[in-house]
Amino acid sequence: MKEQWRLLQTGFNTAFSNMAVDRAILVENSEGKVPPTVRFYGWIPPAISIGYFQSVAEEIDVNACEKLGIDYVRRMTGGGAVFHDKELTYSIVIPEAHPAIPKNILKSYGRICNALLQGLAQLGINGTYAPINDILVDGKKISGNAQTRKANTVLQHGTILLDVDVDTMFSLLKVPNEKIKDKLIQDVKQRVTSIQHILGTKVGFEEVAEALKLGFEEEFDVELIQGILTKEEKTLATQFEKECFSTTHWNHRR
Amino acid sequence: MQSQSIYKVPQGKLLKISIEYDEKDNVIRDIRITGDFFAYPEEAIELMETKLKNTVIEREQLQQKIRSIITEYHIKFIGVDSEGLAQAILMCKP
Repeated sequence: MKEQWRLLQTGFNTAFSNMAVDRAILVENSEGKVPPTVRFYGWIPPAISIGYFQSVAEEIDVNACEKLGIDYVRRMTGGGAVFHDKELTYSIVIPEAHPAIPKNILKSYGRICNALLQGLAQLGINGTYAPINDILVDGKKISGNAQTRKANTVLQHGTILLDVDVDTMFSLLKVPNEKIKDKLIQDVKQRVTSIQHILGTKVGFEEVAEALKLGFEEEFDVELIQGILTKEEKTLATQFEKECFSTTHWNHRR
Repeated sequence: MQSQSIYKVPQGKLLKISIEYDEKDNVIRDIRITGDFFAYPEEAIELMETKLKNTVIEREQLQQKIRSIITEYHIKFIGVDSEGLAQAILMCKP
């Protein structure tokens, strides 16, 4: 019988709640209270997440975000700033010691990204893993990923772009050199793609989630069983949202 | 004296350094390391910033200091290395 992991479909939530739930799952998994978990989720309102090591002041036009009703949050993972709008976000939480996860961090990015590649293949999309943390289709980025390891537990989350609006993204993000902003936008438009762009048709969140579910099941030879957050996870998530991810102290700490 | 640099590590990520340094002694008074790289554990970056204070801004000494901090605290960097970090700090000086 195949190993069973938990599948969570937590729908669309705020940036603060989304990051809090990932952390809550990590804590509960690290204490052996919940099985390895794959989660699919989205963001309402749209939001920018920045990597743990980034600075809000350097990366985000906070006034533009406020004007457009865009939230922003610091992730507990490294990596770059991401505008979460028309996309599917996944997370996977699993013990570091699980045989499915390479000890080598870079190799484990590759392994988890393979699950995403298998998921994309279900949709007829042929992608490649581009170390350190991207997935490309026809040389263009469709997915960015970020991993942390805490309490002997791996949390990797990342995005699959369903559609992309580079102009809006750049109205919210700061660039190091304003003079070359237009060129940068053109460059990024050349370097980023989405499921809608590749297939020429809109594919819904649920359809992509189903494809990715199969991708994870195939790559890790497991069965994903639809579940729900435990009471403890919900309590922890509420606590992390309130005490960490929604606070100025956390979001502006760098 | 305050200064900043932005440095793309070859084959790696973007490093942004802000430093406050003593021109006469050529040592780091304060430093903030930001960027889209990865470090494990993440909190080690704050440790790195603290430990780099009072380091002479000279390539060999910087690299040696960074390497010793990485070893002592079992830090794993991805997308940046001791050479890249030292280079970014050096670029803060005119």
